[in-house]
Amino acid sequence: MAGVWVFAENYEHGLELLQIGRSLADKTGVELTAFACGDKEVGQQYIYYGAHQVFILPPLAEDQPLETYVPAIAEVARQEDPDIFLFAATLRGKEIAARVAARLNTGLCSECIELDIKDNKLEMKRVLYGGAALQTIICKTRPQMATIPVHTFTSVTDLDNTRQGIIKEFDPISSTPVKVRDRQPRAQESGDITRSRVLVCVGRGVEKEEDLKLARELAEILGGDLACTRPIAEELHWMPQETYIGLSGQTVKPELYIGLGISGQIQHTTGIRDSRIICTINKDEDAPIFKISDYGIVGDLYKVVPFLSQELARLKKK
Amino acid sequence: MFKISLNIIACFKWVVDHEDIKVNPETNELVLDRAGYRISDYDRFAIEEAVALSEQYGGSTTAVTVGFPAAKKSLKDALARGPEKAIFINDPAFANLEPSQTAAILAQSINNQEFDLIICGEGSGDLYAQQVGPRLAEHLNIPCASFVRKITIEGRELIAERRVDEGIEIISMPLPALVTVLPEINSPRVPGLKDTLAASKKPVVEITGSDLEETVPCLETVEIKATTMERNCEKFDANEDDLKRFVEVLLRAGVID
Ligand SMILES: Cc1cc2nc3c(=O)[nH]c(=O)nc-3n(C[C@H](O)[C@H](O)[C@H](O)COP(=O)(O)OP(=O)(O)OC[C@H]3O[C@@H](n4cnc5c(N)ncnc54)[C@H](O)[C@@H]3O)c2cc1C
Repeated sequence: MAGVWVFAENYEHGLELLQIGRSLADKTGVELTAFACGDKEVGQQYIYYGAHQVFILPPLAEDQPLETYVPAIAEVARQEDPDIFLFAATLRGKEIAARVAARLNTGLCSECIELDIKDNKLEMKRVLYGGAALQTIICKTRPQMATIPVHTFTSVTDLDNTRQGIIKEFDPISSTPVKVRDRQPRAQESGDITRSRVLVCVGRGVEKEEDLKLARELAEILGGDLACTRPIAEELHWMPQETYIGLSGQTVKPELYIGLGISGQIQHTTGIRDSRIICTINKDEDAPIFKISDYGIVGDLYKVVPFLSQELARLKKK
Repeated sequence: MFKISLNIIACFKWVVDHEDIKVNPETNELVLDRAGYRISDYDRFAIEEAVALSEQYGGSTTAVTVGFPAAKKSLKDALARGPEKAIFINDPAFANLEPSQTAAILAQSINNQEFDLIICGEGSGDLYAQQVGPRLAEHLNIPCASFVRKITIEGRELIAERRVDEGIEIISMPLPALVTVLPEINSPRVPGLKDTLAASKKPVVEITGSDLEETVPCLETVEIKATTMERNCEKFDANEDDLKRFVEVLLRAGVID
């Protein structure tokens, strides 16, 4: 069965791809196929949520990494020749998609943030130059492939557990030379900033680790979460990796973003583009972040933040 | 520690410096004519890691780039960072390659080199498609690990700590292999005057497009436009009145309760 295919390493992202996959399949009048990794129950759910067909990849052994699926995925795609093949852009999903695309000699749009059908072709958009530009591309070879950042689309909702579909199970997969020796889950659950309604984001303008408490206090009063720029996480290690925003970090879309001591380099601001309201506190009135802020305060965060916290707390009490 | 002697290839790209990108306000198109170029930031980590590993385990590093003639300028900078030699795969047609082409060109050029390990940055500073590394591994039919933050070598095995969405996965794979590395893997050294002088004496092998099979793009660019962020851009001072007004604005916007 040709049509639109989707692959996600987990169920949640699978539902997001089903949403966009279904709209593309409907627009082009083709069927939708989803992969389920090692779990028949997940495959069954995908059918209830609108997949016409599911491929159940066999469960992997403890030492087999997810990429072990690459040859099997590429082989079935070669045989059945889908029109469109979408992958959830998790870290492993990005590697798998690139390797499958190489095996199929086809083009891949990485981290596609918008896609639509134009003249029966998939038109895809992605950012370039650290977020400074938006590129629109089409893929001239088959399948037309893209990776889709997680949470770009909402999940499908219309569950119908009378829906029927085709379930195809794969033979066990032989190992590749890459072996998993150990897995270390994230040390602390830092919460998922991609879902926060309010984010207070700290940058290098914060001088010492202990000063994060000023930001944390403000975040708490606003009922929001704390996020940061890359240097805070990667160079200073003050905050977990998954709390930094930007090109190589998270893309967020809160109702309110407040940036403290952040210069506004494009690699960071590309991750906050979809925020509803952007506020900034920076002592340098020429900081580039003011150009992309709705409301900017020119001032020392060490004076401004405690005042704001106090003022907000006072209003809250009222 | 016993010496293993590794032949390492570090791939790097010469990219436009985005600080220099200007926008034509009428057409919203990018103006790149006067932009400077630099070694892609991510690839500095790849070069550093290759050099550090060859220092630790013995061996040598070759820096490889695919680019258009002006990318020649990158070679001295790359070599000043420690590699013993460079391969410059150069053709005027290589100015705007897409990842599938870059990977195919690298594969053809690397295929007859002896190597134990190829290191790429996790993505490039311009396109950031993050495809060249994994695609190259497929072309060369060697194992691959992406988003790696630590590498150790045990005999003929490479042990990598790689990031995955739920945390860290520690994998092993036999050499020869390919890894793509994250910026957190090291802190690239800053070349000094001595390194720069030494760099000009290091050998550069040049390969041109006519030595290779032609590659055809799979993707077609319909358009490239500058991204715009239309925002209010209202500024406040840090005095008490202004800050109170700021809080009121937020209240009115309904973003805080
Ligand atoms: C390829 C690449 C990818 C990248 N990806 C990302 C990414 O995903 N995310 C990311 O965040 N970065 C990323 N970066 C880094 C990015 O370019 C910037 O270096 C980084 O975002 C800067 O962080 P910052 O704003 O916290 O620090 P700085 O640029 O150092 O800015 C600090 C700001 O604080 C202000 N300040 C100082 N003291 C005070 C005070 N007391 N009160 C108020 N203001 C004060 C200063 O005026 C200054 O504007 C990337 C870079 C590259 C090259």
